[in-house]
Formats: sequence, structure tokens, C-alpha cells
Amino acid sequence: MQTAHGLNFESPSLIKRLKGMLGVDFYRLFHTPLFYIFLGIAAIIPALVSMGSAMGDAEETTSLFNNAWQIIAANEPLYVVNDIGEYANMNMVFIFGGIMISIFIGHDYKSGYVKQLFTTHSKKQDYMTSKTLLGAFSMACMCLTYLFGGVLSGAFTGLSFNVNAGSLICAILGKIIMSLGWASLYTFINIIFRAKFGISIALCFILGTGIPVIGAAALIGNTPALNVFLYGSSVYACLSANALAVFICLMNSAVWTTVYIVCGTIILSKRDVY
Amino acid sequence: MNAIEIRNLTKNFGQKQALNGLNMTVPQGAIYGFIGENGSGKSTTEKLICGLLVPNGGTIKLFGKDYKDADVRAKIGVLIEQPGCFSNYSVWNNMMLQAANLGIKNAEEEVRKVLKTVRMEGSASNKFKNCSLGMKQRIGIAMALLGNPALLVLDEPINGLDADGMRIMREVLIDISDSYNCTVVISSHVLGELEKIATHYGIVRGGKMIAEMTAEELNNNCRTYVALKTKNPSAAKALLGRKFTRVETDENEYIRIYDTVKPEAVVEYLYNELNAVVTEIRTDKISLEEYYIDLMKGGRADNEIKA
Repeated sequence: MQTAHGLNFESPSLIKRLKGMLGVDFYRLFHTPLFYIFLGIAAIIPALVSMGSAMGDAEETTSLFNNAWQIIAANEPLYVVNDIGEYANMNMVFIFGGIMISIFIGHDYKSGYVKQLFTTHSKKQDYMTSKTLLGAFSMACMCLTYLFGGVLSGAFTGLSFNVNAGSLICAILGKIIMSLGWASLYTFINIIFRAKFGISIALCFILGTGIPVIGAAALIGNTPALNVFLYGSSVYACLSANALAVFICLMNSAVWTTVYIVCGTIILSKRDVY
Repeated sequence: MNAIEIRNLTKNFGQKQALNGLNMTVPQGAIYGFIGENGSGKSTTEKLICGLLVPNGGTIKLFGKDYKDADVRAKIGVLIEQPGCFSNYSVWNNMMLQAANLGIKNAEEEVRKVLKTVRMEGSASNKFKNCSLGMKQRIGIAMALLGNPALLVLDEPINGLDADGMRIMREVLIDISDSYNCTVVISSHVLGELEKIATHYGIVRGGKMIAEMTAEELNNNCRTYVALKTKNPSAAKALLGRKFTRVETDENEYIRIYDTVKPEAVVEYLYNELNAVVTEIRTDKISLEEYYIDLMKGGRADNEIKA
């Protein structure tokens, strides 16, 4: 603590700063319909996918899903996809998550909350961290509602539930862990484009679909080297996953989160906020 | 110890230079009226002080410390343009969220206190989007007051308010300076209102501070003048212009003599020299607004800052 002419200057700790910012962000999250809409979408999408496949002819149904857990994750880490059944799984949560984070951060700028925030003791890395954690939490929740929706729709369509439980847990855990990395990427994108959240949404959508990685896989083949990317590791968390897959997801998510938070902080510090 | 010390501050927006080596000194405890034309650099300066913009050059010190230090920033309250509030939330919720952000203990008590200070205690349950402009400005000030700031930066809080809104705002600002013991920087175009509360002034033009002074110094600069009307104004003005250093005709056709002179002496002088009869004569002082306009026209202030 330092004083200047009777004034007490106390530097708030990182914990105190983050606690305050996270408190506000989570209050807003739980009080916005947006969050519940996206949770609902995450629950409905697996039902729509499995119902859609079930409504086709019997042959088509077999080619899309022959096991309920394939709605959650693919059997193998397939970076190159041949049909919607290999693609449509819990990874789609990361597309919705990107859109939700873009709208949330866009609202921060539109309302002037960011302006209000950065005139106080809040640091730029606090903002990156807070938004990343908030986004990760939101996507983790969506993963759970997706799981719930997937199980229900699997049961409804009469698909088999036979699975290696350990691999299934590793796959779900891996995808939930990947939420952190994806959230940091989306926060970073929104920091670059700031109030222009239409561009942010479009970019988050494109990256969330994994199109760049799928494109790369189409060129270089189905190689584990693609696990260095967020989408690659997300795909790697599949129904044949083991503890190594969880570890890879953990490392990938941690590294990319650090990179994006550091880069986002630098950009926020070097550029005008408002 | 000065609350704000800015030296050689520069800020460019692309090719446009918004601030061109601005210097500014705000003593601790002052109510600093920050005056300038649109685009002169007032808001840019305030945004730089608040950390919303990144300067291209120069230094900003707040209470002797770098303006980016988190401990100093924790002691700054800001209202730049509109307050950063969520329109669908109530005034109370917006205030509580800001209190949470600042990590304020006894948040409810603190929020009640600041809402009372800005005369908004009865409107806490109103949604922010339903508040009038004057109310929104006061909510912004209340948010800025949370955490007991040592420095309050207010960007044009009076502009756009009706007469009653201005009166309330003036009372609020005087209350704040009395009870919060903080330094206040206010930019405004409503110079008449500013004159009633400011203890110090800074006048900015073209991204440079052209004059800084205390209210007392301004009072001295806003010199007493003698205003008169006569039936032969052109000849009278010419005659008086030869005797006094500064003689002008104002918009109401009064001849103004900016000098320390007794009205009786002027009447006698005009009668003796020109046989001119003075029909009306009074002494007066130029207002802050007139002084400001004079400065903007390029007139020299006694406290003008030399480049």
C-alpha cells in the first residue's frame, strides 16, 4: 500500500480482480436468455440429427449411426469426413459456443461495459481470462445438454448403447476440456474485431466447423499431426479414446488458451479500447 | 502533489493529430473545468487519462504514479459520454454489478449512498433504458463514485440537460466536491454552469493546452470594463481608442473600455474632448464565455502557456 497526501493506493490482487469480473460475467450469463437458448439448441441438435437419419430409409440410417454414442463422438479420429454421420457429433457445440461468445462480447462493447471496465483497475488479461472461462463454462454446459439430448434421441430412435465406458468418458471429458481452448480462440477473435461482431460470428462459425482442418486433412491425409489444432484434438476425443487422448486435449487446450490470452492481452494493450 | 500531470501528450488517429504535445496540471482537490471547441482534444485527453486510448507519446501521471498502475486506476471514477450500463437491467442491478467489479465490500450500503448523492435513490428499481438523459448521466456519476475515487473524470455531464437537469447536476457536483474530497475534471461546453463550480480551468485548442489558471486568476483575467453608449459612437470610440489600450464595440453597440478607469472620468473626458453626451454607462466583468471566445479568436490570456 502506498500513500499520497492522505490517499491510500492499494493494488487489487489478481484473485480479487478476477473474482469481481467473473461475478459480473456469470451473473449476466445466468440472466440472459441467450445462454438458455444455446443450451436448448445443444440439446435439440443431436435429436434432430438422429431423427433425421432415422427418418431416411433403413440403409441410410445404418450408414449414419449404428450406435447411440456416435451422436456424441465418432468411432475413430476422422479428420477427413465422408458423411454427416462422421461429422455431426458433440464437436458442433463448439460452433454454437463461438456464436454465443461473439454475441456476449459484442454486447460488452455495445453497452459500453468494456469502456466502464477498462477505466477501473481491471487489466486486459483479466478480461481475456474472464471471457475465456465464461465461454468454456458455457460450452461445457452445452456439451452436457448435448449429451442429454443425444442419449434421449438415441433411446428414442432405438439405437444400440453398447460402448467401452472408459473410452466414452475419455471422449466426453476430452471434448469438455477442449471447450477452454475454443473459448480462448473465440475471445481472441472477438478482441480483434471488437464491436464488429458480425465478422466475429462469421469467423467463429467457420473455425468452429473445423473446415480449415478438414480441408488440410483432405490434402495431407488423416494424420495425428492435426491434433495440434483445436479441431484436431476435439476430433481425437472419440469413442476409441484413452487417457492419452484426454492428456492431448488437456495439453492442446492449455497451450492454445495461454497463446490466445497472451496475444489477446497484447492486442488489447496496444490498441485503443474505445 | 498534483492529481494529474500530463507532459507532451500526443495522440494520432491515422493521419489526424488529435493531441499535439498537450500539457496539463490538475492540483489535488481541484474542480477542473476543461474547456475547448469540438474536436479540440478534450475527450481524447480524458480517454487517455482513463486508459481507454493508447497515447503516441508523452507521459501521464496520476497522483505521481504512472496512469496504468492498477492501484491508481482503482481510485479513478469515470463518466465518458454515456455510462456503460446494461439497458435491460435496473439501475440498482447495474450499480451492484459495478460494485462487484470493483470488489466493494458492503456493496448495498455503498450503492445506496452514491444513489442518494446523485438524487437517484427513488429510481433504483427503474430499468436503465427507461431513464431520462439527466438520470442516465447521474447514474454514470454514481457508478463513477463507487469505490470512493480520488479522481473523477466527467466528460460533458451537463450537455444536453434541461434547466432543471442542469440545476440538479450542479448541486450533485458541488455535493461531491464537498463530501467526497476528490479531484474532479469536467469538460463542458456549458461555460456558464462550469463557472459556478470550477476552481481551476484548462483551455485546449488544436490539441494543445493554451491556458491553465485558477478561478481566481480567471477572475482577474476576466477584467472589469466600462461599457457606455453615446450619440456619437464612432468618434467616441476613436477618441477612447487613442487614450486606452483596448476599446471595442460589443454586439449591443456598447463601447467597452478594458481598463481600470472610473466611469465618471470617462463621461467627463468625452464631454470635454468631443462634447459627446454619454447616455448610458456601467462597469461590468467579462464572463468565462466571453473570455473563452476571446481566447479562441486568438486574444492573449495572461496565463497563456508558451509553447
